[in-house]
Amino acid sequence: MKTTNILVRRRITCLFLLAAAFLSLIVVRLAWIQFVRGDELREQGMVNRMRDVPVEAKRGSILDRNGNELVTSISADSVYAIPNHIEKPDQVAAQLAPILLMDEAKVKQIITKKSRFEWLKRKVDFETSEKIKALKIDGIGFAEESKRYYKQETLAPHILGFTGTDNQGLMGMEAAYNKELKGIQGRIVIEHDAAGREIPQALHQYIPATQGNNLVLTLDQTIQHFVERELDKIVASYNPKMAVIIVMDPKTGEVLAMGNRPTFSPTKWREVPQSVWDRNPAVWYNYEPGSTFKIITAASALEENAVKPNDRFYDPGYYQIADRKIRCWKDGGHGSQSFAEVVENSCNPGFIQTGLNLGKEKFYKYIRAFGFGQTTGIGLPGEARGIMIPEKDATNLNIGTMSIGQSIAVTPIQLITAIGAVANGGNLMKPQLVKRVEDYKGNVVREFKPEQVRKVISNETTTTTNQLLENVVFKGTGRNAYVDGYRVAGKTGTAQVVAERGGYASGKYVASFAGFAPVNDPKISVLIMIAEPQGGNYYGGQVAAPVFSSLALDVLRYLGVPEQKNLPKPTKINPWDVEEERIEVAVPNVVNLPLEEAQKLLREAGLAFESKGQGKMVYGQIPESGALVLSGTTVILDLSSGTSQTKQGEQVSVPNLKGKTIREAGNLLESLGLKLEPSGSGLAETQNPAEGAKLTRGSAVKVEFKPPSSDQKT
Amino acid sequence: MMDKRFLKNLDYTLVIAVFLIICFSLVTISSATLVSSPMGFKQQQEIWNKDAPGLNGVSSSEPLGVSLLKYSKMFFSDTVKKQIIWICLSIAILALVLTVPYEDFRRHRKAIYILNIVLLLLVLSPLGHSAKGATRWINMGSFSLQPSEFAKIFIIITFADFLARREGNLNTLKDLLPCFVYIGVPMLVVLKQPDLGTALVFMAIMFGMLFVAGANPKLVAGLFVGGWSLAIGWVWAHFHLGLWIPLKEYQLDRLLVFLDPWSKKNILGAGYHVVQSLIAIGSGGLEGKGIYNGSQNQLNFLPEQHTDFIFSVVGEEMGFIGVTALLLLFFILLYRGIRIASEAKDLNGTLLATGVVSMLTFHILINVGMVSGIMPVTGVPLPLFSYGGSSMLCNMIAIGILLNVHMRRQKILF
Repeated sequence: MKTTNILVRRRITCLFLLAAAFLSLIVVRLAWIQFVRGDELREQGMVNRMRDVPVEAKRGSILDRNGNELVTSISADSVYAIPNHIEKPDQVAAQLAPILLMDEAKVKQIITKKSRFEWLKRKVDFETSEKIKALKIDGIGFAEESKRYYKQETLAPHILGFTGTDNQGLMGMEAAYNKELKGIQGRIVIEHDAAGREIPQALHQYIPATQGNNLVLTLDQTIQHFVERELDKIVASYNPKMAVIIVMDPKTGEVLAMGNRPTFSPTKWREVPQSVWDRNPAVWYNYEPGSTFKIITAASALEENAVKPNDRFYDPGYYQIADRKIRCWKDGGHGSQSFAEVVENSCNPGFIQTGLNLGKEKFYKYIRAFGFGQTTGIGLPGEARGIMIPEKDATNLNIGTMSIGQSIAVTPIQLITAIGAVANGGNLMKPQLVKRVEDYKGNVVREFKPEQVRKVISNETTTTTNQLLENVVFKGTGRNAYVDGYRVAGKTGTAQVVAERGGYASGKYVASFAGFAPVNDPKISVLIMIAEPQGGNYYGGQVAAPVFSSLALDVLRYLGVPEQKNLPKPTKINPWDVEEERIEVAVPNVVNLPLEEAQKLLREAGLAFESKGQGKMVYGQIPESGALVLSGTTVILDLSSGTSQTKQGEQVSVPNLKGKTIREAGNLLESLGLKLEPSGSGLAETQNPAEGAKLTRGSAVKVEFKPPSSDQKT
Repeated sequence: MMDKRFLKNLDYTLVIAVFLIICFSLVTISSATLVSSPMGFKQQQEIWNKDAPGLNGVSSSEPLGVSLLKYSKMFFSDTVKKQIIWICLSIAILALVLTVPYEDFRRHRKAIYILNIVLLLLVLSPLGHSAKGATRWINMGSFSLQPSEFAKIFIIITFADFLARREGNLNTLKDLLPCFVYIGVPMLVVLKQPDLGTALVFMAIMFGMLFVAGANPKLVAGLFVGGWSLAIGWVWAHFHLGLWIPLKEYQLDRLLVFLDPWSKKNILGAGYHVVQSLIAIGSGGLEGKGIYNGSQNQLNFLPEQHTDFIFSVVGEEMGFIGVTALLLLFFILLYRGIRIASEAKDLNGTLLATGVVSMLTFHILINVGMVSGIMPVTGVPLPLFSYGGSSMLCNMIAIGILLNVHMRRQKILF
């Protein structure tokens, strides 16, 4: 019995130790859960019972340089539903649908979703939210959100941009500075129990949103107004495909105004084509600057001593490089002239000679130094770099044409920045749109100081160049840009639009003017670019220069720039007296076209016309189609044999019908008194007799039509 | 005369430990059942702050007595009241148990054994009452009884006698076989309910008692390890080889969920209980969130918070300090039980105490293991702590047995 007792006791001790060991294990486990994993599990518990309702931060305002609000945020209620709190969805849907102007079925669908939070309608107006609030429906709540408010909807929409439903910046500054503007979202955290019920007097943690920062732009509201006004006038007069005006402070690179046409309203951006709002032509549009680029050529050549103002040039009316003759815009040329006169006259051969004297390497060096071929870093989305022929591929012909602003594409912002450098004494400034970022209390968060990219040319060179450019306005091609009381320097430009597939698009021009004032102490530099003006008038000197004149006068006066007394006045002040700088165009084919159509074509091509004889059809033209002439040249149209009184038996020449539809071919032949004998269908492929053959009226022309095929590359 | 001597020999340490555990339990049950709706939580908290500021550390204009009165109103929830009735009843029965010398239990061993089986079978009869997918109760008018709770006591009593008779003859498998059959019959009936938790408690009691009774330790250990291996192997085979298993899908899920409660499959299903419990305990930290203040408990994220998962409430509201204090009380209880077992005057007494200690230990381990996510989810309550009449009654009888054995430890009493 005793031995058994000892055994039993030992066994009992053993059992006890085992139990104690297990208990210790449990304590260790509990310590692990409560101390090591405590924070994580506490967090998990919060997640368990807290339901978040986001509170949107008030988006920061966008101000102009003088603190005028351009874009602000105003409060608007957004209506949300907590579906599992809505007891009678049918009734609620019927009540809400008419107030929210929503489909009842749609409302019901939202409020019966298996979800804890659903937006019903965002940013409703005050009246709507008051009406709904009066209904006091359980499970319908309101969150204060903000809505963008534009004091002047027409002002600089491409720069300001706009926001989406969630107040996220989509375009322009709203997109570029979205992070700064949006602020930090707040939250309402609502405690609820395991069944998802909100707890009365529960922890309603309100984590307030932090208002977004304000953006102070370099824009000046008033100057922007002037720009928008001028753009409206341009649209009214010329209805161009596109127009850009940039006003910049040449000393700092600050953009004072920047406007584009076509434009849009930031609240109704959805109503215009995407191409209107999704790019800002001022920084995106690549175009051939034409003569405005001669400023760069002149400044570079003067800096390198490749030319001096008094160097003599002789312009016979063209410049021959290799096998190509580049014509001067003036018929017969400018004859003998100094470089100063070359600039005044915008003489093409003179500039080509200058460019070639400068040489490829140096010319390219300066083109790059002036910032072409690179983005300017203005900070707007979608900036383009311009297009340059790679230096290694550039021929003398290219250098020659580049000297007069062809064979190179630039963006408006690049050009005005480069010209700013010429104006300010040779410093290429980084164009700047944002002055600073402020928090909502007005404390400066970030400041952007004017930034010099590089010194491009010397002060002396710019003084010389500016003197020459002043003369352009005073007595040269830019006389229409003259501003009474201020010394203005500038350059006009007329260039052809480069067709999508290379070559130039017939009848499409870019008229531009780039200038600055006052010359002795430049306060503004301005670029006016008008692409594809309608109505036959497309000369930079006639379309763009007058815009500069009226804009610069307003801006300079507004800026309080003192007028200079006793300035000599240019002799000719009637804008139409100015001899226009012309460009070379190809004469279109108008033979066998109705007179009206022929006239329209010629007008578009920038040519004058004169008709000979009576009739409605054009039977001949001089010069022939394809001839290169200067714009404004008169084309003589021969109508003599196109009258309806034409006798039978008279001979007519067969037109080219290739590529025409049966209907077109029929009409054309009928107007000539010929008959169509068609075969097949599609577009005219072959014809008999061939083009140019003489036929008696009443004869038939056999034409074979074929459906257009993919291998037909013409 | 006899009563006096008995009282002198009462194990007061044990009595005090039990008393403290029960008080602790009542406070926790009060907190766990204060609110049935989330409305109540904050309102009650307001009342708590407004009416009983003196207790909450806030200076009060009211006399402490008034505050206490108001607090007591809140404390005595219906569930707490019911539990107190059960406790009183249990103490009465415990006192009754003390009057009968434990040696006398042996005389009725056959009757007890048969009563046990009958009661367990009764549950399966039309008298049985189902809840939560298991039939474990017998309706007794206004309340229901859970025979499987009492079965544990009956098994301890009958098996202690059974083993005491075979003292020294427990060395071979053949010797042990009758023991397995003896326990196996009631166990199968319990499994039929199904009540896997109780069946496992039977196993724990059996192995604990066999071991102390002097059974061949290698054999016991071998069987224990072998049994576990077989069970694990079976479950493995079920999943990988599609072997039939006498368990329903949800039971298997509950058994295995502790392996990965956070997985996507489990977190909203079987793992939900464990995850919520872990969050509750974990968020308690060192000191806890305060009684009536645990969000997991009060907002009903914690399931079964006054019964099986009551330990999590302690963890959340009273923190690590609370749980270690409770475990310390349990430790004292078990320690006293072990001492009683080793001081018993005969093997029967030793085995009775051993059975009780095994049962309590296993209950505590399984319950706390479950709520802390290291053991399967088997509906095993925390002894003397979880709400529930049958469980309280059974555990108090078990304590009564311990005290009984202790009182009568001296052989020559008269």
